[in-house]
Amino acid sequence: MELFSQIIVNGILLGGLYGLMALGMGLVWGVLNIVNLAHGALIMFGAYALYYLFSGLGLDPFVGLPLAMLILFCFGYLLQRGLLNLIVRSALLNTLLITFGLDAVFAHVAQLAFSADFRTINPTYAGNNFQFFGLTIPLARLAAFGVALLLAVLLWLFLGHTRTGRAIRATAQNLTAARLYGVNPRAMYALTFGIGAALAGAAGGLYGIVSQFTPYIGASLTAKSFVIAILGGLDKPLGVIGGGLVLGVAEALTALYLGPTYTDVISFGLLVLILVSRPASVFERA
Amino acid sequence: MQPFVGLPRFDTGKPVVGLWKPVTGMLGAAALALAGGLAVTAPAQAANTITLGAAVQLTGSLANTGRYYRDAYNLAIDQINAKGGVTVAGTKYQLALKILDSQSDVNLGVRQYVQLLTQDKVNFLLGPFSSNDAMDDSSVAEKYQVPMIQGGGASGQIYARGYKYIFGTLPAAGDYFASTIKMMMTLKPAPKTVALIAANDSFDVSVAKGTRELLKKAGLKIVVDEQYPESSSDFSSLLSLTKSKHPDVILWSGHETEALNFIRQAKSLNVNPHLLYSFTVGVPTADFRKALGADANYAFGMTPWLPSPGLKDAWFGDAAQFATLYQTKFGYAPDYHAASAVADVEAFVRAIEAAGSVNPQKVRDAIAKVNFDSLYGHIKFGANGQIVMPQTVIQVQNGELVKVYGTKFYAKPAYPLPPWSKR
Repeated sequence: MELFSQIIVNGILLGGLYGLMALGMGLVWGVLNIVNLAHGALIMFGAYALYYLFSGLGLDPFVGLPLAMLILFCFGYLLQRGLLNLIVRSALLNTLLITFGLDAVFAHVAQLAFSADFRTINPTYAGNNFQFFGLTIPLARLAAFGVALLLAVLLWLFLGHTRTGRAIRATAQNLTAARLYGVNPRAMYALTFGIGAALAGAAGGLYGIVSQFTPYIGASLTAKSFVIAILGGLDKPLGVIGGGLVLGVAEALTALYLGPTYTDVISFGLLVLILVSRPASVFERA
Repeated sequence: MQPFVGLPRFDTGKPVVGLWKPVTGMLGAAALALAGGLAVTAPAQAANTITLGAAVQLTGSLANTGRYYRDAYNLAIDQINAKGGVTVAGTKYQLALKILDSQSDVNLGVRQYVQLLTQDKVNFLLGPFSSNDAMDDSSVAEKYQVPMIQGGGASGQIYARGYKYIFGTLPAAGDYFASTIKMMMTLKPAPKTVALIAANDSFDVSVAKGTRELLKKAGLKIVVDEQYPESSSDFSSLLSLTKSKHPDVILWSGHETEALNFIRQAKSLNVNPHLLYSFTVGVPTADFRKALGADANYAFGMTPWLPSPGLKDAWFGDAAQFATLYQTKFGYAPDYHAASAVADVEAFVRAIEAAGSVNPQKVRDAIAKVNFDSLYGHIKFGANGQIVMPQTVIQVQNGELVKVYGTKFYAKPAYPLPPWSKR
C-alpha cells in the first residue's frame, strides 16, 4: 500500500511538470492553429537559459526562472512576428513542415552553441526530500509541481479575466468578429506565441532541475506535450494540467505493474484511444 | 615535421568529407572542385593512401560519446602517419580517414556504411559507438566482405551470428559485472540480495543476461529484475519499487545520461542499497563526476582501460602519454572508448603490415591473428572476433576516480555505502 501511494505521488509530481510542458503547446495550437513541433526545442532552450543563469550568474534556479521565461517570451514573440506569422492559419501540413524544420535547426544550433555535453541545473537542495505520512516527497519536484500549477492558474485567469486574454480567445474563436471589435490579430498571435514559449521556458527550467538535458531532448518532449495537450483540451489551461496528471500517474502505474518499458505504449495508447473516441477534440481545430 | 598533426579538425555537426590525404599538389585541384561547387571526396585509390571509413554519431543523442571515436580515430591516424605511416610489402602508405555523421540514427548509419564502401571506396571500416549501431553496421561489413574493427559495441549479440568480418575491442557485455561480483563476494558484510536494472537496448540486454547467470553462480538472490526503455528520464517508479524490496546491491546498466538521472532521483527519493551500487557507464568519465558533484561518490563502475604508463604503445609511447596528448588536443580526458578506438586503428595497421597487402580478405585473416601490446592493452581477438579483457572495478571516492579491484585489491573500497542522509 505504501508503495502504491508512493507511486501515485511520484506520478502526480511528474504529471504537474508534464502539464506545464504541454500548456504552451496547447495554447499555441488552440489560438494560432499551429501544431508546434519545435515546442520541445523551446523547452530545451528554456533549460539552457536557466542553466546559464544558474551556473553563469549564480542565480537560484527558482529566482532565475522568471528571467528564463522572459528570454523565451522575447524569442517566441520575434519568431512568430518574423517567421511563423507567414503560415498562421494556413494548412496544417505547412505548419507541421516549418516547425519540424525549426526543431531540427534549433537542436543543431544548440549543439553548436552549447555542445552535446549533458547539463544539469543542480542546486544544493536538488536532492533534498522530506517524509510525509511515510511517503518520500522530493523537494525539487514538489516545487516544480507548485510552479506548474501556479502558472496554469495564472494563464487561466489571464485568458478568462483580462482584456488582452479575452482578445486572444476572441481571435481564436472568430477572427472576423475580433477584427471588427478592434483586435489586432497579428499582435495577439505574437503575444500568444510568446506566452507559449515562455511557458515552455518555465517547463524547460524545471525539467533541468529534476533531470539532465542535452540539445536532443526536444523531440520526445514534443511528443509527450502533444499527447497531453489532446488529453487536456487545447485552450483550457487547467484541463492541460489535468491531462499531465493523468499521463504522469498512468506512466507511474504502468512502470510499476507492467514494467517501465511499457510506459510509451500506455501514453501513446491513450492518444489513440482519444483520437478514436473524441476525434472532434483534435480535428475541429485543425 | 609532422605534416598531418596541424590540419584543421572536423567540427561537430558539420557534414564531413574526407580530407586526410597528402595536401601537396592537391590545393589547385581542391580549389577547382570547390569553385565548381563540388564536394571534395578522397579518392581511396589515390597513390599510397589507405582510407579507413566510419559513420559515427557526431550529432544527436549519442554525440557525447561519439566524439571519443571521432577524436581518437583522427589522433591515431595523425600519429601513425607522423611516425612513418604503414609499410605494405616495402611501400610506404599514409592513412586517411573518411568519417560521416550518422546523427545517432542507426538506419542512417547503415546506409552510410554502404555508401562508404560502394561510392567512397574506402579500404577498411572502423566502427560506430554503441552496440545497437555496431550490430547493424557490421552486417554491411559482412555483406561486402570488408573487415570492420569496432571499439564501440560490447554486446555478445554482435559476435553471435558467425560473421567473419567483424572484430571488436570492447570486452563482452555479459561479463561487465564479473569482476564487481567477484569483489563483492570478498567484502564484509557480504551482500545477499541484488536489484538488477538494465535498459532495453542491445548492450544492456546482454549485460543483464550475463549478469543474471553470474549472480546465480555466486548464489545471490535477485529481488528486482527490471528493464527500462532506452533514453528514459524518469526512474521514480523503478526507484520506489527497488526501495520497497530493500536490496543490498543495485547493479545498473544503461547510458550515461540515464545513470545521472538514476542517481539524482535516487537521492531525491531517498533510495539506498544497503551495501553498494555499480553502473556500467558514467563512472570512468570526468563529465559524470562533474555533473553529480559530491553525489557521484561511492558509485562503483568498471573500465577495461585506465591511462597507466604500464601500457606501452609503439606509436604513442604509453597510455599515460596518449592521455596527456589527447587532453591537450581536444580539451577533455579520454576514457576507454577513446583508447579502444585507437586500438582499432592500430590493429588495422598491424594486420595490413602482416598481410603485406590491402586485399580485404587477406587483411581479414591477418586481423584474426594480430597479437600485440597497445596503449589500450593486449590486442588479440577470440575466435568469434571479440577481444577478451578483464574489467577493473573503479569507484568514485571524494570526487576522485580510484582503481579498486582487478585480480586483487588495489585500493580500499568505500564500503558499505552510507545512506544519503549520512553523506
